[in-house]
Amino acid sequence: MQIWPLRFRDLDDRRTVLADDSGAYFLADLDFVDRYSGDRLTASDEKFLREQGHAFERDGDLAHTGFLTRWSQRQHVSLGSAYVILIPTLRCDLKCSYCQVSRAPTAAKGFDWDDETLQNVLGFLNGLPVEQIQIEFQGGEPFLRLDLLEAVAAFARRRFRKVRFVVCTNLQTLNEDIRAFIRSDDVLISTSLDGPHQVHTRNRTADPLLTENFLQNLGEVIDLVGPERVSALPTIDMEQPPDPEALISSYEAFGLSSLYLRPINYQGFARKSHPAARTSSAWNDYYRSFVDVLIARNARTGRVIEEFYLAHCLRRILAPGADSHTDLRNPNIPTGANAVINFDGQIYPSDEARMLARIRQVDLAIGNVKDGLDHDKLALLAPAHINTLDPDCIHCPYQPFCGTDPIDDLSRHGRIDVPRQESWFCQRHLAVFDLAIDLIYSTNPAVEFTLSRWLGLETLPEALRPAAP
Amino acid sequence: MIQLRLKTECDRSLTPFVTRIADEEPQHEDDATLLSREAGILSYRTGHTDFRLRDISPVDISGDVLLIDPRRQIAHRLIRAASPHNTFLITEQCDQLCLMCSQPPKQRHEDMFGHFLAAARLAPPNALIGLSGGEPLLHKEGVFNFIDKAVAERDDLSFHILTNGQHFDDGDLPWLRRHRARLLWGVPIYSKDPAKHDEIVGKVGAFAQLSPNLALLGFAGAALELRTVVLAQNVSGLPALADFITRHLPFAATWAIMQMERIGYGRMNWDGCFFDSSTDFADLGLAIDLMRARRQGVTLYNFPLCTVPPAYRDLSAQSISDWKQKYLASCESCSLRAHCAGFFEWYREEDGFMEIQSQ
Repeated sequence: MQIWPLRFRDLDDRRTVLADDSGAYFLADLDFVDRYSGDRLTASDEKFLREQGHAFERDGDLAHTGFLTRWSQRQHVSLGSAYVILIPTLRCDLKCSYCQVSRAPTAAKGFDWDDETLQNVLGFLNGLPVEQIQIEFQGGEPFLRLDLLEAVAAFARRRFRKVRFVVCTNLQTLNEDIRAFIRSDDVLISTSLDGPHQVHTRNRTADPLLTENFLQNLGEVIDLVGPERVSALPTIDMEQPPDPEALISSYEAFGLSSLYLRPINYQGFARKSHPAARTSSAWNDYYRSFVDVLIARNARTGRVIEEFYLAHCLRRILAPGADSHTDLRNPNIPTGANAVINFDGQIYPSDEARMLARIRQVDLAIGNVKDGLDHDKLALLAPAHINTLDPDCIHCPYQPFCGTDPIDDLSRHGRIDVPRQESWFCQRHLAVFDLAIDLIYSTNPAVEFTLSRWLGLETLPEALRPAAP
Repeated sequence: MIQLRLKTECDRSLTPFVTRIADEEPQHEDDATLLSREAGILSYRTGHTDFRLRDISPVDISGDVLLIDPRRQIAHRLIRAASPHNTFLITEQCDQLCLMCSQPPKQRHEDMFGHFLAAARLAPPNALIGLSGGEPLLHKEGVFNFIDKAVAERDDLSFHILTNGQHFDDGDLPWLRRHRARLLWGVPIYSKDPAKHDEIVGKVGAFAQLSPNLALLGFAGAALELRTVVLAQNVSGLPALADFITRHLPFAATWAIMQMERIGYGRMNWDGCFFDSSTDFADLGLAIDLMRARRQGVTLYNFPLCTVPPAYRDLSAQSISDWKQKYLASCESCSLRAHCAGFFEWYREEDGFMEIQSQ
């Protein structure tokens, strides 16, 4: 019998999580790890590993072929669908406390696509080798240029077999034209709701009346298109994080059943003046306490609210193919089909790469809509977007579920080869995956209730919790 | 029930022949055009001969491909143009004796490949044709040759082959790869426990043979549909079988969990085998939940919708072939009837599901 290599990590002082390259995981105690590393596995250890697909007898036998399939499914990210972020304008009518570089004042000139750029953007979209696309409009405030959104939408509906638009808007303004645009079934609304009234005012509007405006508009949009086509996410200021119960209540008040907690991501100089934003332990502690509150609350109310990112990470642990979220997948090679097009027609691999260029730290543009993609730059960026062979990640049981974020590494450390465990991305994800594994193995009925509902299951099968003898 | 055989009249001295009922102008010398209809008798003429059909209307058989047996004066409807359920019975021989078999094996084999090839040539565009048995691959060379020839002339055809998976070897790999886009293999597996599987299929060593052959299909990139009939004998093992499938058979496109058909050995062994999933869906639910968590396809065949908890109903397929499907009196008022698999013609309420309720 041959055993596929196992990586391991202590979950706490009595449990170790082990996983192979295909992402098949199990828990064991320290004695098992000693036996495994000392080549002293017992017959029942071997039976367990064989049944769980961690071992095989011969090349080409069923266990071998099954493992190869699972491994290759983990390496495969479907490229049938494009996900493009468009920034038709950088102008915005809000001045949020945490938005330093991605906006310009409403009266500013030169921060919108001109006619030529619009035509080039359409030409770029036309050339993408896909029949399905999701187009996300960001800003600035995209509804300041509804005319550009309409032009892109009209083109994309003709060009692609399947298309979906997401407008990331502050919802400060609604008018008849905007209402008409969002009534279309293929348009989704994404907005920011930072929590209770005073938190939202402090973070975003600096004016209670503007907050009132926003809350009224959010309610109206949900009435207009239904809660399933509206998503909101809170940006968390770790210097003054909102009370979890109050934050969840502010979402439930609108009938929203999913939220996605995101920490403020300070860039450049701002990062130096916000030390709390740099330490991942503060974030990880808050995140975990938030999830505890959420799970207890779901059990209490019987209404299920989802924290999107944790639910997504759970789905990634359990199976390959949960690749819909472009910030966490592997490999995640930058291409034109997964890019950000700025107000000036420059193309970036991600929104954060755009920010780095904006603060003049490093120019990570991978081309522009006029001249096309810069393939030398793409080739340069590609290797860092695979974690499969990373010298640190290969020792981590979470590697098959995880991703990479070299742009974030570059932004925080000025280089992409910092030891993984020292990077924000790695620390954050180790904590999320530790939490996820802990929850999968929990027999607390409240946890089982939330997890089964998040995963769309009636029960949480015992087979999801393998444990070595 | 839809008739699969029609009474026919023709020259008894002819050898059996294949013909297609032309809906308009004949396009092939084997196409039959309607000459006259009178008093329940339809008269047809092909490029070679004349024949008559009784007790059927021309619209019901338009485009059908018939095999006419002059000696018995019977027309077999090999392909019904309006139906998605067309199956060629390759042989009635089998090397397994499954407890619930709906088509018990027979010793004698009649080679029909010539007729099947003639029929495949005349099949409607893009037809999916089932190949079944018995065990078709007891005549592997014949099946492989038939498929080679059929697709050489008709590359729009695809085949759904039901096999017990006992008869592959490594030498089949190039052939399996060459045809993988047009073949769907339906292979039964009843338990992850070899002894339990062998007991159900009535053949010692069956699982030991099945295992490497499934690996071969996976390695070939073949499209694989695993099939499991729920029985009193294996229902408690379904969650473990689901775990086995997701770990060792992740290349299977789908897992079809099937209810029993009360005919053949299935009728003989009904009392000892039928598992009433309408009163206890727990193990099925656990198995399905595991498949869903691991994002592998699962389908329920032959389950009336009212016997399936609402959370799993989207997995139910209308799987019962039109010619042997029926509904019960209580289905008359059911709002789900249009999407329901219904029941086999030979289903009996007195020893069937306890919980059948109009929805």
